[in-house]
Amino acid sequence: MPTFKTSEEWLKQSSLLLKARPSTTRITTKYNNPHPDKAAKILKRKRPTTEEETDASKADSSPKATLTLKTFDPISGVVLKYETDKAAEIGRLIASLGTLGREMAALPEIAQEALAAKEGTGTNTPVPETIVKSTPTDTKGPQGTGNKKKKKGKK
Amino acid sequence: MADVHSSNEDFLTGLIKLLEAAHKSGHGSIFLTQKRYTYGTTMKTESDSSSEDGLFPDFNLSEPVPIIVRATNGKGKEKRLEGEKVKISTIVEPNEIEGFFTRYADVCKMGMQGMKKRDRSKRKKGKDKKKGGEKKG
Repeated sequence: MPTFKTSEEWLKQSSLLLKARPSTTRITTKYNNPHPDKAAKILKRKRPTTEEETDASKADSSPKATLTLKTFDPISGVVLKYETDKAAEIGRLIASLGTLGREMAALPEIAQEALAAKEGTGTNTPVPETIVKSTPTDTKGPQGTGNKKKKKGKK
Repeated sequence: MADVHSSNEDFLTGLIKLLEAAHKSGHGSIFLTQKRYTYGTTMKTESDSSSEDGLFPDFNLSEPVPIIVRATNGKGKEKRLEGEKVKISTIVEPNEIEGFFTRYADVCKMGMQGMKKRDRSKRKKGKDKKKGGEKKG
């Protein structure tokens, strides 16, 4: 039951599992918001060296919900897991659930480049693919010349 | 389990309620599951004659199939009897997957407020502002 360190690796392996067992593989996403008491206990267990008082105060203030993605195929018994506590990852993870959803539905895969562009811009801005591609070149141009001018001025 | 699946729209509003409830009570888990929808369907393969397709009828589907997405708050045992258990499901048609998952992502981003925000305290605020300004301009 491997737990992957990166969501990319999880997505890749889940995709392969889904290709092998398209009709039986299921993906469960667990959003776990633990009870404050339990969360404090878990924190203590994970970091036994730090002082209890500071831990307790941190546990009260900091959010500690987690999102766990689990791909499971009951026929072969394969489980692929990924866990995170970062809110910034939610959008990207649900987007990868979408790509896996396409595979479940036996839809053709979207071209890799388009996918990469989508992931790069983030799920908030899926539309301006062409704009994103053009902006780096635009900004690089003036910046490059600007640097050159500065250097010339210094000399 | 509810016999009738919700529409995509009802499912998402139900999910919002589930996440809100989990957040209000201070703790609790929400389980979301997605799977190919195969219940009561006979799979149409491109060529029934070849033996390989007979062994793996789900490898070469002639047309896309819907997927089913479920959500539950995982309340069991006595809480199920008290009616606290919520279990909703929806069937997403292949042509609606793109749209559904963008809205699904928004719902999750809004609802999952218990997770760690990006830690900006360690960075120097001045530098961030400068960088942001350059990108915009």
